[in-house]
Amino acid sequence: MAGRAIWKGRLRFGSIDLPVKLHAAVKEERISFHLLHKRDQVKLKQQMVCAYEKVPVPLEEQARGFAWEEGKYILLDPEDLERAEPADSRMIEVHEFVDAGRIDPVFLERAYYLEPEGSQKGYSALAGALGELGAAGLCTWTMRKRGYIGALQRGGKGLRLTALRYADEVVPARSLELPQIPLSAKELKIAGDLIGQLTAPFEPGKFADEHQARLRKLIDQKARGQRIAILRPRRLKPTAPDRLLEALEASLKKVA
Amino acid sequence: MKDRRSARFPAKLASAGGEGAGQGIWSGTISFSLVAIPVQLVKAVEPGRVSFRLLHRTDYSPLLRRMVCPEDGRIVPPEETVRGYEVGPDKYLLVTDQELESVSPKRSRTIEIVEFIDLREVDPLYYDHPYYLIPARGGEKAYRLLVEVMRRTQKAGLAKFVLGEREYLVALKSAEGALVLITLHYSEEILSDEGIVPEGEAVDAGERNRLKGIIQERISDFKPERYADERRKRILELLEKKVKKGAAVEAPPVEPEEGEGPADLVRVLQESMRKAKRERR
Repeated sequence: MAGRAIWKGRLRFGSIDLPVKLHAAVKEERISFHLLHKRDQVKLKQQMVCAYEKVPVPLEEQARGFAWEEGKYILLDPEDLERAEPADSRMIEVHEFVDAGRIDPVFLERAYYLEPEGSQKGYSALAGALGELGAAGLCTWTMRKRGYIGALQRGGKGLRLTALRYADEVVPARSLELPQIPLSAKELKIAGDLIGQLTAPFEPGKFADEHQARLRKLIDQKARGQRIAILRPRRLKPTAPDRLLEALEASLKKVA
Repeated sequence: MKDRRSARFPAKLASAGGEGAGQGIWSGTISFSLVAIPVQLVKAVEPGRVSFRLLHRTDYSPLLRRMVCPEDGRIVPPEETVRGYEVGPDKYLLVTDQELESVSPKRSRTIEIVEFIDLREVDPLYYDHPYYLIPARGGEKAYRLLVEVMRRTQKAGLAKFVLGEREYLVALKSAEGALVLITLHYSEEILSDEGIVPEGEAVDAGERNRLKGIIQERISDFKPERYADERRKRILELLEKKVKKGAAVEAPPVEPEEGEGPADLVRVLQESMRKAKRERR
C-alpha cells in the first residue's frame, strides 16, 4: 500500500529534469514502552537539560554553538546555520555516478521510493539506464533545512533514493586499533570450509521478530496478574584460543 | 520520526556503559557454530563530528538529553526509572529489566550466526544502522579468524540477537580488520512500492541508451568524503567570519565526559586561521 508522499522535488542532471515525489520505503512497528519514575509511576519526558545547572532548558533558552576549544563555543544564529546548509531549492542534483556495488552499506541511512510526477518516459529511461549499468547517481538535496547526500538507483521497477551518511559521521575501522594475531593455514582453511557449508541465499522473509510475540505474551501474563519467572541471561563460555582449532573441526563435522 | 531513530536502541541499555565514544553499548558473545567469541558492541556512527552543540543561552553550558519528571522538573537517573506498557490513560504495566531479559534469555547475550550470505544479494532497502563489534578479553584470536575468513570468502554472517525490547536481524561483515554489525529491517517492515513506481515500463530505448552514454562518461570511484569535505568547508568559512569578530563564549566547567569536541575540525580551522594571519602580515 502506497503511503502519502513526504516531499516533492525535481531530479536534475544535464538536460534531465524530472519532477518526483519521495515516499518512505520502510515502516517500523513494534511494542513500545514508556519510561516511568519508579517511585510514583509518573511518565517521564525526555528533555534537554543544562549540564551545569541540571535544570530543563526550554526551547527559547537553547542556542547552538560550535566547540572551538575545550569549554569554548562560537555561538551561531539560526541565520548562520541556514547559510551553512544550501538553500532549499527542491532540487535533487546528480553530480556523478558510481558502481552501485561499491557503496559500502555502512553509509546507507534511509531509503525512499521515487514516484514520477507527470511523464513516466524520462523516469523509466533513467531507471532502465541505471539498472542496466548497475550504476548509482550520487546526488545532494535539501529537505527540511538539512542538506542530504544520497544514492539514486534502480530498485524493483522504479527509482530509489537512499540518503547516505556523511563520511565524517562514520567512525573509521582503523580507529578501533584491533590487535593483529597470526592465524595458521589450517585454522583459515577449516573456518573457510565451515562458512562454505553454512552459506545460503539471502531470504529475509524467513526471519521474523520472534521476541515480539514472546514479549506480547509477557505483557498478557502481567495484565492477568501472573508472576513472571525470572530467567537469567545465559552467556556462552568463550572458546579458548588453544581450543579454537578443535572447536572448528567439531563444527565442521557437525554440519558436513 | 527523528525521535524514533535516536531511540533505536533502548535509551536505558544504550547508556549502561557511559556515553562516550568507544564505550560498549552491549556486551555478549558471537556464536559461530561451536565457536564462541566474547565481544562488545560499539558505535560506528558519530553524528556531531561536524555539527553543533546545543547550549544554554544564559550560561553557555552544553545541554544534555535526560529523562525529566514533568511534575517537579527534576532529572531522573536511569536507576530510578522503569519501563511501563500503557494499558489505559495514566495506567501502565511495569516491566523490569530482569523480566525483559527473561523473555529471550539466551539471545539477549548471544549474537547467533545462523547462516552466511553474499551481501550482494541484500537489497539495500534492508540496511538500517551500523555498529562495530570489538573483541573482549580472550576473544581476540577467534575474532581475528572470523574477520579474515569473511574477508577471503567475501561472505557475511546473518545473525539474530535481542536487545531490550527488540530482536534484531543483523549482518556481520568484515571491514579493514574489524567486524561491522549492521541491523537489518524485517521484510514485513519494507513497504510496497505499488502505486508509486510505474507499472508497465514505457520503453524508450533511444533515450535509455543516450542516458547510458552520459552516465558512463561521468562514472567515478565512490568517494563519499568529498561531500563531507564540501559541507565542512562551508562551515569553516562561516566560522572564520565569526571568530574574526571574537564571538567565542566560555562554558562553566562540567563533568569530563561532556568536554569532548570535534578535535580534528577545530585543528583544521585553527590552522587555517593561523595561515590567514600570516598572509595578512
